[in-house]
Amino acid sequence: MTTTIQYTLSGLAIGGIYALVALGFHIMWSAAKAVNFAHGDTLMLGAVLAVVGVDAGLPMPIACLLAIVAGGVFGVLLERFAMRPFTVAANSIGWMLTTIAVGVMIEALATLQFGGFSRPLASPGVKSAVHIFGAGVYPQELLIPAVAVLVMIGLRLMQRHTLIGRAMQAVAHDKRAAALMGINVNRIVAFSFGLASLFGAAAGVLVAPVIQVSASMGALLGLKGFAVAIIAGITSAPGVVIAGLCFGVMEKFVEGYISTSAREIIGFGVMILVLLAFPQGLFGKREVLKV
Amino acid sequence: MRYLVPFGFLVFAAILVAVPLMASNEYELRLFMLFLIYGMIAVGLNVLVGLTGLVSLGQAGLFALGSYSGAILAMRLGFDIVAACLGAAVVSAAFGVLLAYPTVRVRGVYLAVVTIAFGIIVENVAIEWQSLTGGTTGLSSIPKPNVFGVRLSGFAFYGILAVTLFVLTLLIHNLKISRFGRTMLAVSQSETASRALGINSTGLRTMAFVISSITAGIAGTFYAFLNSYISPDIFTFSDSVRFLLMVILGGAGSTFGPVIGAYLLTYLPEYLQQFQLWQKFAYGALLLIVMFVLPRGIVGTLKYAFDRLRPADPVPDAADGMSVENSLRYEKKMLAAELVATSLTVRFGGLSALTKASLRVKGGEIHALIGPNGAGKSTFVNTISGFYLPDEGRCEFDGVELIGRRSLDIARLGLARTFQNTELFGELSVLQNVMAGYDQRLSYGLFQALLRTPRMRREEIECRRAAVGLLAFVGLSQYANEEARFLPFGLQRRLEIARALASKPRLLLLDEPAAGLTTQEIDDLEAMIRRIAELGISILLIEHHVDLIMALADNVTVLDYGQVIASDAPAAIQVDPRVIEAYFGTSIAHAETAA
Repeated sequence: MTTTIQYTLSGLAIGGIYALVALGFHIMWSAAKAVNFAHGDTLMLGAVLAVVGVDAGLPMPIACLLAIVAGGVFGVLLERFAMRPFTVAANSIGWMLTTIAVGVMIEALATLQFGGFSRPLASPGVKSAVHIFGAGVYPQELLIPAVAVLVMIGLRLMQRHTLIGRAMQAVAHDKRAAALMGINVNRIVAFSFGLASLFGAAAGVLVAPVIQVSASMGALLGLKGFAVAIIAGITSAPGVVIAGLCFGVMEKFVEGYISTSAREIIGFGVMILVLLAFPQGLFGKREVLKV
Repeated sequence: MRYLVPFGFLVFAAILVAVPLMASNEYELRLFMLFLIYGMIAVGLNVLVGLTGLVSLGQAGLFALGSYSGAILAMRLGFDIVAACLGAAVVSAAFGVLLAYPTVRVRGVYLAVVTIAFGIIVENVAIEWQSLTGGTTGLSSIPKPNVFGVRLSGFAFYGILAVTLFVLTLLIHNLKISRFGRTMLAVSQSETASRALGINSTGLRTMAFVISSITAGIAGTFYAFLNSYISPDIFTFSDSVRFLLMVILGGAGSTFGPVIGAYLLTYLPEYLQQFQLWQKFAYGALLLIVMFVLPRGIVGTLKYAFDRLRPADPVPDAADGMSVENSLRYEKKMLAAELVATSLTVRFGGLSALTKASLRVKGGEIHALIGPNGAGKSTFVNTISGFYLPDEGRCEFDGVELIGRRSLDIARLGLARTFQNTELFGELSVLQNVMAGYDQRLSYGLFQALLRTPRMRREEIECRRAAVGLLAFVGLSQYANEEARFLPFGLQRRLEIARALASKPRLLLLDEPAAGLTTQEIDDLEAMIRRIAELGISILLIEHHVDLIMALADNVTVLDYGQVIASDAPAAIQVDPRVIEAYFGTSIAHAETAA
């Protein structure tokens, strides 16, 4: 019983991270029908910069805030200079290659600067564990899934009730029509990438106290975030959050009862099977091809 | 130009023969053999990246899969190098299908992610399945390369690698210039148009990925024999990036580009060894630079420059073309192409775009479908051509139910269409566009394409002649070698008609073919449609231009607010009060009393 609760709670924590990353992919896909393949590295950047900031003597909250903002700026710049030149032509794969290239470069740079070692971010969230039915978790771990759900609700409210949120939905639906209605599509896309990257970097900062921060941490977390987006259906915001949390819990159980290697095999295996059975994802809507 | 590719293969063969004679030591030869192995991966990956425009970041995983399969077959079952390669090819082909099919039918973008994940799965299975793979320590007692139990010398092994790469390059060149290469490029340009022409986009993308899996699998087996030791950590994500970079740097879609890219990226790390830490960064930076500075890659850029310098290819002589009478005419007894749509209803959310719309196109007639903007005409066309699924209703084509069939199957039944906003294969030449339309009439298969059998050549010549004839028919002969996207709009419309006709349809759907055309062009269009009808092809014409309809149509159906309000001969439609009301908002009688 205790083990079950333990696995569920730690699974929700890591699942919250996947949910935040997947939410970023959802936002980018909606805006541009393209995503930033360096999104995992945005997460890494957030975590690493937070640690570097604390090392430099900044107070923890300031360091975290700066790291998140830096992640957002990174996303905006990446969209402007690496993606936009290639998303103009239809069916271009250029943006995939350029964002992959930037991701590889950022990871290599971070390895050079940050070294091969990994370390956690000291945070009040992991000072002492709380006990729930005998299972010990850090408050930080409880915070992560809550943040993921709140961010999703916040995104929903923004899309429903603010001008920019409605503009985002308009662009997602039909870029050309949105532009004809006077929406600055480029600005909305840039905003979306910035927002997605803020969430990505925030996920990095949130996970930094729980797992080891290293230059290579982003690749796998980013990939799993995308896997979650595929499983849920990249078009559904609540879907990716639910799928993310479930995926995290599933991982912890597999890891606990079988092994870490089995975790990766089963996790990605599930993604391929879901894709086979539900091409649009579990919560995704079938996109009507406009002819 | 015709001799450039054979000349390239000659030079390539000469280099492959010369290198072992000039190699000063074993290390040099071994490095060159490593290049040959990487070359195989790059040449195969080129089919996926260069032709279908998809990205795989899991080639290292497939390479590892092939390596382990080959090594295990050789160690456990005593397979020689040829049998081990075949075994590895079968295993990687199976995984290729498993990965590609579910992925590419949804979104091409997903393939990049699924392949990265596959690389991780392979790595972890290799670590976990210790009894078979030796876990993290890997496999170290891989036998020396042998064929039928005869041990190969270093040079003989080199010979096998060189011949394999040469043959693979040749086969994939053959694939590129066959119907498969052409339709793969077409799918990467417009999936919608491909489907409407009966081209199976999912099948072609899966095929491209499987080809790239097989080559990676074979290369993996050779690698296992060359290295005689493999472990999970040899095959990394950064290798996948490197393999992709080989294709992009050399020139995606070109015949020799990937080989050149593989050569550069095999030798470059040797020179960069002292900057080991910067090596990964360099791959990323190089990829970024290539994308901005040389997006066509080395060979692609050279070809582009060369094409601009030399005189343009002569356009094919229209006299060589097959006349449309020969290539399209049906026998009289086949004339029955009849389309009967019965009470079709299509709803989008709460909006009903079509409500119980019925229509009958009799065999051999020109039937016009008219109606004000938003009446549901395009919805109707998209529904019968299989792009939308109606909520209710039936639609039969010569007694065959169309509803529920995929658009590509409907196209293969003999129903061709054009698009309101043209959907050409922009980067293909005008002639290639029409030849892609002819695809469903070709019957040669993959092996015939790879080997360029006489049958393949015969069918290709026939296809080309029919396409040249069709271009003459629509008056585009002089533009045959232009890229379709550079044609002016009016000519793009004609090209779409030629492409649709290439499939030898029995019913042609023309979705607003006169929109945006000048009066002169509309007159030409009228003559063209009449000639098409004379060939015995039934036509459903969706149009606004009343003059055109009155001149051409045998029968007219009028849609308004998704409902059929009249269906009759043109003369009767012209005076039908409901039609006038739909178009002008008031009936004549009402207008007269008002006056």
